[in-house]
Amino acid sequence: MEETRIGVYICHCGLNIAGTVDVEEVTNYAATLPSVVVSRDYRYMCSDPGQDLIKNDIKELKLNRVVVASCSPRMHEPTFRKACQDGGLNPYLYEHANIREHCSWVHDDKKVATEKAKDLVRAAIKRVYYHQPLEVKEVPVNPKVLVVGGGIAGMQAALDIANGGHQVYLVEREPSIGGHMIQLDRTFPTLDCSECILTPKMADVGHHPFIELLAYSEVEEVSGSIGQFKVKVKKKARHIDESKCVGCGICEEKCPWKVPSEFEMGLGKRAVVYIPFAQAIPNLATVDVDHCVYIQSNGKKCGACIKFCEAKAITPETLLNQTDQIIEVEVGSIIVATGYDQFDPSVIPQYGYGRYDNVLTGLHFERMTCAAGPTGGKVVLKDGREPENVAIIHCVGSRDQNYHEYCSRVCCMYGLKYAHLIKELTDADVYEFYIDMRCFGEGYEEFYKRLSEEGVNFIRGKVAKVTDVAISDEEKGKLIVVAEDTLLGKLIRVPADMVILCAALEARADADKVASLFTLNRRADGFFLERHVKLDPVATPTDGVFICGCCEGPRDIPDTVAQAEATAAKALSLISKGKITLEAAIANVDETKCLGCGRCEEICTFHAPKVISKNGVMVSELNETLCKGCGACAVVCPTGAMLIRHFTQEEILAQVSALTEV
Amino acid sequence: MDEFKPQIIAFTCNWCTYAAADLAGTSRIHYPPNVRIVRVMCSSMVNPMYVFKAFESGADGVLIAGCHLVDCHYIDGPVKCDTMFARLKKMLHTLGLEDERLRHEMISASEGVIFAQVIREMVEQLKKLGPSPFKIRREALV
Amino acid sequence: MEVLSPYKEATEAIVEAGGEPLKLCYQCGICTGTCPWNLVRGFIVRRIIHEAQLGITDFGSEEVWLCATCRACVQRCPRGVEIIDVMRAVRRAVVSLGIGIVPDALRISAKNIAGAGNPLGEAPERRGDWARDLGVKKFSPGTEILYFPCCIPAYDPDVKRVSQATATVFNKLGVDFGILGTEERCCGEAIRKAGYEDTFHSLAESNINTFNRNEVKTIVVSSPHCYHTFKNEYPELGGEFQVIHIAQYLAQLIDQGRLKFSKEINKRVIYSDSCYLGRHNGVYDEPRKVLQSIPGLELIEFPDSREDALCCGGGGGRIWMETVKGERFSDIRVEQALEKGAGIIALTCPYCFLNYRDSVLTMDKSEIIQVKDISELVAEAM
Ligand SMILES: Cc1cc2nc3c(=O)[nH]c(=O)nc-3n(C[C@H](O)[C@H](O)[C@H](O)COP(=O)(O)OP(=O)(O)OC[C@H]3O[C@@H](n4cnc5c(N)ncnc54)[C@H](O)[C@@H]3O)c2cc1C
Ligand code: SF4
Ligand code: SF4
Ligand code: SF4
Ligand code: SF4
Ligand code: FES
Repeated sequence: MEETRIGVYICHCGLNIAGTVDVEEVTNYAATLPSVVVSRDYRYMCSDPGQDLIKNDIKELKLNRVVVASCSPRMHEPTFRKACQDGGLNPYLYEHANIREHCSWVHDDKKVATEKAKDLVRAAIKRVYYHQPLEVKEVPVNPKVLVVGGGIAGMQAALDIANGGHQVYLVEREPSIGGHMIQLDRTFPTLDCSECILTPKMADVGHHPFIELLAYSEVEEVSGSIGQFKVKVKKKARHIDESKCVGCGICEEKCPWKVPSEFEMGLGKRAVVYIPFAQAIPNLATVDVDHCVYIQSNGKKCGACIKFCEAKAITPETLLNQTDQIIEVEVGSIIVATGYDQFDPSVIPQYGYGRYDNVLTGLHFERMTCAAGPTGGKVVLKDGREPENVAIIHCVGSRDQNYHEYCSRVCCMYGLKYAHLIKELTDADVYEFYIDMRCFGEGYEEFYKRLSEEGVNFIRGKVAKVTDVAISDEEKGKLIVVAEDTLLGKLIRVPADMVILCAALEARADADKVASLFTLNRRADGFFLERHVKLDPVATPTDGVFICGCCEGPRDIPDTVAQAEATAAKALSLISKGKITLEAAIANVDETKCLGCGRCEEICTFHAPKVISKNGVMVSELNETLCKGCGACAVVCPTGAMLIRHFTQEEILAQVSALTEV
Repeated sequence: MDEFKPQIIAFTCNWCTYAAADLAGTSRIHYPPNVRIVRVMCSSMVNPMYVFKAFESGADGVLIAGCHLVDCHYIDGPVKCDTMFARLKKMLHTLGLEDERLRHEMISASEGVIFAQVIREMVEQLKKLGPSPFKIRREALV
Repeated sequence: MEVLSPYKEATEAIVEAGGEPLKLCYQCGICTGTCPWNLVRGFIVRRIIHEAQLGITDFGSEEVWLCATCRACVQRCPRGVEIIDVMRAVRRAVVSLGIGIVPDALRISAKNIAGAGNPLGEAPERRGDWARDLGVKKFSPGTEILYFPCCIPAYDPDVKRVSQATATVFNKLGVDFGILGTEERCCGEAIRKAGYEDTFHSLAESNINTFNRNEVKTIVVSSPHCYHTFKNEYPELGGEFQVIHIAQYLAQLIDQGRLKFSKEINKRVIYSDSCYLGRHNGVYDEPRKVLQSIPGLELIEFPDSREDALCCGGGGGRIWMETVKGERFSDIRVEQALEKGAGIIALTCPYCFLNYRDSVLTMDKSEIIQVKDISELVAEAM
């Protein structure tokens, strides 16, 4: 084995160090330590002549290890590593001692500070002894991007990337893209019609040469890591010939079987073969297999659509024999934009949702006010009458530890939007029951003010119950909303014909499955976890996977769009760099010591180690592109098979014992 | 007899507490010279073995310090460190080491003042406790 | 302008009793809207919490004594505020620091409990008299079950039916049980909620000693209040026993095939959940199960049942305080039962028993509706 030859350099930093530490004494001391070939002091080690000392010594004295004692490594470790590299030495054969911030600047007794500096230098020397050369690796980035979820978030991200000239695969689970936004009627605070601003975007997505839209599809499997993911997508059978269907809708018209429409929140019906709404993209019919009489009877009954489809897109063959398809794509990064579910208020029985006909959720009301919706844009009760009073209840399932502790961030605003629409469309009195009005966005407070002018009754209090048990004539035949008006300190009962529940936005029911598919982490509230709340809000612990929109937590459309654009920027910046430099000081498994116990796999937040079967034995395999080098796995590894390069046990133990020596 | 000068080994994470110690330096906040810092990348990197080693080779106290829960560069290192720390503390306790000799703190990069304060407190406390029982044994045997 | 309370010590004690959750109250008012008092009069629960937060509690107000500790509000509170603990702490301050007025009736009951070990002021020597002619043995080490009847079924001439029915059922089934009679004292649950913390501690200590001395392992109780305190509060004071409410025990006996019925009860029976069995301890199914097993019996439900059941008004020491006509929750309950066409109101709590009995009497409905404990119904059907 090659002899260890260490060069030690002690910096004066003018008087910053030399004023308190006897640099000469430290330098002489270092020279006495084993394997130290040269020990020098210099006024400013970080200056060019200082760095040249190192470079020359490496060449002339054949140094194979270098220690500099100076300021904080957070400042100049990179400088001296570079100097080593320029001198022909692997930059990881370098160690730094901090004798300024941690010594000369915090002590004034020269003797004491000098002793401490000696300790720190000695420890660095003992440690550098064990350093190994490390390779900095690079992997190329595949410039294609996968976007999962075709709501406003996913569409925006896909368009930004595609407009930059890069290929995007957009996977949407439903028959059409659009997400929740296409269900909305008008959007706060400007009240522009959702359809009007969204359908052009949907059309762009549908026609974009760089977007391959995989609607009615779901991701089945993801492997690989940043720069080179492999993804399997299942394209579900629509049971029509997509290449022939022109979206004329005649099949839907002729299909005699009707079921509640998901898009209309059950307020309207759709046929069993259907196009979910008029502007659907892609504009294709889809057969609801579970309800199709032809399919369920194995071709014995019905078949009306087959007869009427002039394009010959529906045939016995497509109905009976079409199967799901698996498509494999390769991408460099992934954007997850799977959105939210609306909270089901029937779990709060005292609000009567599901029990009383005229207790609705927000999304129901959106469909009701929409001119193209099931009531033709009329606000009506179940029996067709127009309501005389409407109560809007905020925070249903939000800000409540019995359900969701978080604030859903949009309900106050859409509650106000409904108040406005009710005022516009009916003569009804409106009561908003709120706990706090949260109108924080651009133009939001102004909107609140406008609604106050429109004469909405605001009642501060969380509703205790909605009941139909009347205690006065005035209440008969109505729903009665019971709450304390906390500003009056009085219990009040408000009779209403219609009650709208501002139900929380919650994580998708299948968020756990999606999380494990894309190795995402979830917060306690169920939404996907970002890398850093403030400074890295769209990245995730898994490199190359980004999140935006409501899958990361409730938010309004402006915030969703801004986030979507941020993910696009992240993906584009990866593409334009073209390669990824991997951290070198990361974990490493010694397979011969590994027991395959899986503790490393369990503790790693970044899912880097995975226990696999190799020649019939279980061993941990590290995905180096995922590992960040935090070191948690090495702590739990029972055999010492897992260690962190540059922070091995040998190195740290040597440093620790050197610090306590003497 | 010389005044007892406790020795402290501090394992600090690169991103927060190491930076806090740097900040104490740049702000010239003085604290007792009894501490020696070992830089680790994250508080979750601290192996109980390192702490044993520190005590075994003569430290009177050990500090493990990293980011606050939400600041960790590796997302949840402090949680992992906490689990390790609880176990470690029990083990050391059964070995007869006083609880006060081992501390776990969360000190962010902006908390230089707190870093200095913690060192001051530890030094005071350790002075009261006297040399670590391990050290006493070792010295008696050597 | 309001001056902060001069009773600093008291307010601190309240803040402490409310603990961290008290600070969390965000004044939504759902507690007020949920509290049954607001069916009969105004009672702004939220305001009491806010006053406690700010340390401006009005110790002189009669509202201090209203809460029946039914737990309806706690169950709904979005921030997890232990509202009952706050109410209790306010009362404790009044009682121990004398900074308000304790209602007369409560004061007398409290005195009786402290002196005689029961709220009625009956002689302790006569606590076991209810069982005199039933051949019930005194509990001794080795006996399987201690039956602890609660003060009301032990002394009240009417409610004795409950303890006696229980003993009869046990005797018929050959259950190995005994009573401690004169050695028992009130469990202390309600008097604690009424603010008499010291009294509770001395009662609990005495009972725990008695139980331990007699090597008691399993206790069957008739009252959900005894159940609650034995199960959830005594352990903190060192009393660890297996506690079973009679409804649970009867359900077990049915499951084991030991309890079988031979007679029919051809009545519509409505079951009233007691707050301390239901909301406080989550026992909803067993009483229903027992009732449903009785041949001929048609079990019906109140409009609000289980988690939403209306309180009888007797918890938190309210049982000993005067509730004026028109403000009695049990009156509302009896009306609801009548509307549903029930012939019997089935109960699992002696306090409910007293309240419902009085309501039926004062409403002059004893001809058409009866009040019965579940153990009586079981005894009748055997
Ligand atoms: C009643 C109501 C009214 C609102 N009104 C307004 C308003 O007026 N103004 C405003 O700014 N905001 C409003 N919002 C908020 C707005 O709906 C959201 O900000 C926005 O829809 C979020 O878009 P998204 O793309 O993140 O999620 P979504 O709209 O939920 O889209 C997610 C998409 O991903 C698809 N998907 C889900 N899982 C998968 C999967 N596993 N694989 C493939 N695809 C998947 C879904 O089918 C869907 O198309 C309102 C919300 C509600 C509930
Ligand atoms: S060092 Fe950290 S990131 Fe790398 S494998 Fe271990 S636990 Fe995971
Ligand atoms: S913890 Fe260590 S032994 Fe266990 S699987 Fe991981 S590397 Fe192998
Ligand atoms: S329900 Fe809870 S949070 Fe709401 S006012 Fe009452 S105590 Fe406060
Ligand atoms: S516990 Fe019952 S009586 Fe007491 S305040 Fe709450 S709801 Fe009212
Ligand atoms: S990076 Fe500081 S504790 Fe993890």
